[in-house]
Amino acid sequence: MMHCTMEDLGAVRAGEGSVWARRHITTCAACRGELEALFQRVAQLKALPALHPPRDRWPAIQATLRAERSRRRRTWGTWTGSLALAATIAAVLLVQPPRGEQGKLHAELNQAKQQSATLEDSLQQYDVDGRVLSGHAAALVADLEDRISMLDGTLAQQEHVTHGGDAALVKLWQERVGLMRELVNARATRARYVGL
Amino acid sequence: MTVALAVPDVIVARAQAGDEAALEALYRAFETPVYNLVRRILRRPEDAEDVLQETFLEVVRNIKQFRGEGYLWGWIRRIATTKALMRIRREQVRETESLDEEPGKPGMHVGANLDLERAFDRLSETSRAVVWLHDVEGYTHEEIADQMGKTVSFSKSQLARAHARLRRMLDEGAQA
Repeated sequence: MMHCTMEDLGAVRAGEGSVWARRHITTCAACRGELEALFQRVAQLKALPALHPPRDRWPAIQATLRAERSRRRRTWGTWTGSLALAATIAAVLLVQPPRGEQGKLHAELNQAKQQSATLEDSLQQYDVDGRVLSGHAAALVADLEDRISMLDGTLAQQEHVTHGGDAALVKLWQERVGLMRELVNARATRARYVGL
Repeated sequence: MTVALAVPDVIVARAQAGDEAALEALYRAFETPVYNLVRRILRRPEDAEDVLQETFLEVVRNIKQFRGEGYLWGWIRRIATTKALMRIRREQVRETESLDEEPGKPGMHVGANLDLERAFDRLSETSRAVVWLHDVEGYTHEEIADQMGKTVSFSKSQLARAHARLRRMLDEGAQA
């Protein structure tokens, strides 16, 4: 007499057994017993006690996380430093501003860069690492920092292809000023510690 | 072990904002389920510990990308499973796997009082992964095949072979 294979039994357990296997199990006590044992094994596996990690791995994860954040912050600082320098250079170059529409754009660009640099300085007053933020404030700050980083990337590309006076560039710098202002406000008005 | 963990949304939101206390709260909530999962799959405890750490590093780096579709545990579990399976693949490159395919190997005698847990431990890591993911974690064969980069037939036949092997070991243990 042909019996069910383990694959047949597994399929029956999953409700996908062949007609033959399902019919066979109703008539064969041995295969019925095997199927029952399979059900029991699975139930026993599910009931095995949880294994706990022998050591606390959080300190290692935390250390890596902090190192990565510190690296990112340094990179971001370099970026913003470069942008501040760009603003200073632009200010020097604009001693003799061009005339007309182009001149107006130059002036607006210069103003936005200077505002951005000033806000950058204001931000230095706040201890970026040490202050504990509420969940909402932390989310806001993280979001603003992300948006500024992305904008800085766009600006870096734009600076290479344009030589000032471009309306799009002015708009980007003004957008940066807006975000920087929000970031300074978020940092300044923040936050109290909310415990878990 | 069935995991039914619910982490408050506010903790997830704070973790997504980079709050370290919230990230640690996530780690504390999921360290045992993750370790248990990967330890059941991987033979060596130190490998399971490494995968635990790698999993949470990925979780803290990418928590912002978790959009709340599905359960957080499902998302973390997928990361942990992927990393455990990657480790098995790496090991397989280095050495030919599987104790359960070498029944005559010294030290493989299955003695008396063998219980299911010990029998399970003697399966190859691939078999353990398929059995644990399918029977305990509730993965479908399609999902297992997808995560392992194998076919559905492979998953089904691995499961059947593993159960046949478990049954034999338990029988031998009972008779010894």
